[in-house]
Amino acid sequence: MKRTFAAAAGIAATAAIVLAGCSGGTESTDPDGPITLTLSGWSLDTTPEFQALADAFTEQNPDVTVELVGYDPVEYNTLLTADLAARSGPDIITQKEVKFVSTFQEGGQLLDVSDVELPDGIGGASSYEIDGASYAVPYRQDSWVLFYNKDLFDAAGVEQPDGSWTWDDYEEAAAALTTDASKGAYQHTWQSVVQGFANAQTGADILDGDYEHFAPYYERVQAMEEAGSEVAFNTATANQLTYQGEFGTQKAAMLPMGTWYVATLIAQQASGEANDFEWGIAPIPQEDASTAGLENEPVTFGDPTGFGINAGIDENKVEAAKAFLEFAASEEAAQVLAGIGITPALLNEAVVETYFSVDGAPGDDLSKFAFAEHETLPENPTSSRTAAIQGILADMHTAILSGSSSVDDAIAEAQDRVASEVGTD
Amino acid sequence: MATSARTAAPPAARKVPQHRPGSKLRRHNTIVGWSFILPNFLGFGLLTLVPIVVLFYMSFTNWNAFGTADWVGFANYERLLTDGSFRISFLNTLYYTVLHIPLTIVASLGLALLLNNKLRGVAFFRTAAFFPYITSIVAIAVVWNLLFSPDSGPINEVLRAIGITEPPGWLTSPEWAMPAVVIVGTWRDMGYYMVLFLAGLQTVPRELHEAARMDGAGVWQRFVNVTLPCLRPTMFFVTVMLTINSLKIFDLILVMTGGGPGQSTSVISQFIYRRGFEENQFGFASSAAVALFFLCIAVTVVQFLWNKKRSV
Repeated sequence: MKRTFAAAAGIAATAAIVLAGCSGGTESTDPDGPITLTLSGWSLDTTPEFQALADAFTEQNPDVTVELVGYDPVEYNTLLTADLAARSGPDIITQKEVKFVSTFQEGGQLLDVSDVELPDGIGGASSYEIDGASYAVPYRQDSWVLFYNKDLFDAAGVEQPDGSWTWDDYEEAAAALTTDASKGAYQHTWQSVVQGFANAQTGADILDGDYEHFAPYYERVQAMEEAGSEVAFNTATANQLTYQGEFGTQKAAMLPMGTWYVATLIAQQASGEANDFEWGIAPIPQEDASTAGLENEPVTFGDPTGFGINAGIDENKVEAAKAFLEFAASEEAAQVLAGIGITPALLNEAVVETYFSVDGAPGDDLSKFAFAEHETLPENPTSSRTAAIQGILADMHTAILSGSSSVDDAIAEAQDRVASEVGTD
Repeated sequence: MATSARTAAPPAARKVPQHRPGSKLRRHNTIVGWSFILPNFLGFGLLTLVPIVVLFYMSFTNWNAFGTADWVGFANYERLLTDGSFRISFLNTLYYTVLHIPLTIVASLGLALLLNNKLRGVAFFRTAAFFPYITSIVAIAVVWNLLFSPDSGPINEVLRAIGITEPPGWLTSPEWAMPAVVIVGTWRDMGYYMVLFLAGLQTVPRELHEAARMDGAGVWQRFVNVTLPCLRPTMFFVTVMLTINSLKIFDLILVMTGGGPGQSTSVISQFIYRRGFEENQFGFASSAAVALFFLCIAVTVVQFLWNKKRSV
């Protein structure tokens, strides 16, 4: 009796587990009735942009609800890939990293959204173009600027940036700003901090497999480490330094970083996590004087974040999804985003005003110029080879800055590896 | 559990044969037996066996996680043979394994011998030795990174204090990064294998030790001629498990060095992870996984054969 019961219970439990994995399905939507769109996001508690856009869109279109699907931020692309491969992905796919766009597109996961109208002057749209068609629209585009601590500049008697700096000026200022208590600059350990500028400002393309243009940028970093005007890479990795800690607690007077840090710094100064000091943002130093100065457009880099549409979306929802994409790229959405400290892909005077009206934001004109005026080149070219090449360049980055390989040797090795392991066709 | 099952079972078992012929009983028992292992076996089948079979298939295809996988025959394996990164990862994996196995065996056996004595507070020390094994790997990485810091880390300060003027750069140097990872790996694993050795030491008969002592054998002689031979089954098990775990090393490398500086600590598992989940080349990644699978099997088979030869 007992054993039969146990056996039956065992089989029933197993069957339940197996069946639970196969549940779910799609119901067809009535085109005239209320529509619910699902949208993928990450860290929903601390990333308010998705909910803000969803709410603003529903306000305009009361019969469309946008439901957020949260993912883990670190494994976002892996988890999303799994969901898409299982055909249970969201209707609107947020493109967190440009280097995955071509994977999704080649896999037939993204709908052609070339007919979604974009406002003039929006940045980052080219990152979503493959063979002349668009597969996503940008709504957010951070770009890299120079954060600087005005108090430390004044204390050291160094003239504050005026928008005309080249990297030589930056190096010189860093040396002059260095004291026993603080370094002139902090350079975070990411490969972008060196390679992103080198690629954008020399006009190089990482897909062509030639990396000589990195050499002067790495040599400058090494010289600054040697001179003691910034923390050594090895110390930063061993002690797991954070850029928020280094700049926020005044251990460094300058910090090249993306504009996302503006909102973080304001919040951390308000909460007391960061010290109370005057700061501003300046255009990132340039390769030479031809792009420097307030009358020119400084060249920097940054990748957009955008929305694409799942190719497997219910036909009746396509129109609503495209309407959402159009809204996300519009000035209205840009205002919503700027209001919560996010850098929209569309920047005009009104949007910039909103962005800087937040309590604690710097009020000087140079900060506004740095935020609004720049030629932002993509960090990751849209190609299926980008991920592999960036992996190899990341190895080169640690090899050079840890001091375990000379600049020339590491570059030569990276070129060999890209040629033999990835190909440069 | 076992006792309660034994006390509950007999009445039912005695009743059954009176009503049913033997073959029916056997079938009944088989079904009951199967039903007990079914949940576990189904889990194994669905989550382990099927994916492994699919992995073998995928290694012959070109697949980016979407749509159909194109059959490419042995192309992935040919690419693997000429891929410089795979060669480096393969050699680094062997390097880690060759260094990690003997170090861990010596450390864990030493600890086990030490803590096999009747000491005051031996339970505390046994627990303490096991702590690293149950500590979060991320915490381990952060703390050891600080300890290994070339300029300000305590390890190099001690080395400088005892007169080594140019201590190694540890995780920042391509020559020393792997030894540093091995040290942390040994520190983490020794508690676990110590427990296995402690269990093994309980099976060493005291009479043998007494007899050896009567014959005038010293401590070292007794260890080599009594303890070690009696520990052979445990030693075999520990070696096999250590080998497989060393060849599969992944988490420690990922959180401590990420394979760097350069590629100096890149291992096969990480190669698979990067090709698969970062670059979406699941076919190529699968072929590397199959290579790792056969490497583990080959080494284990050799160990089994060697053990069999020794025990004859």
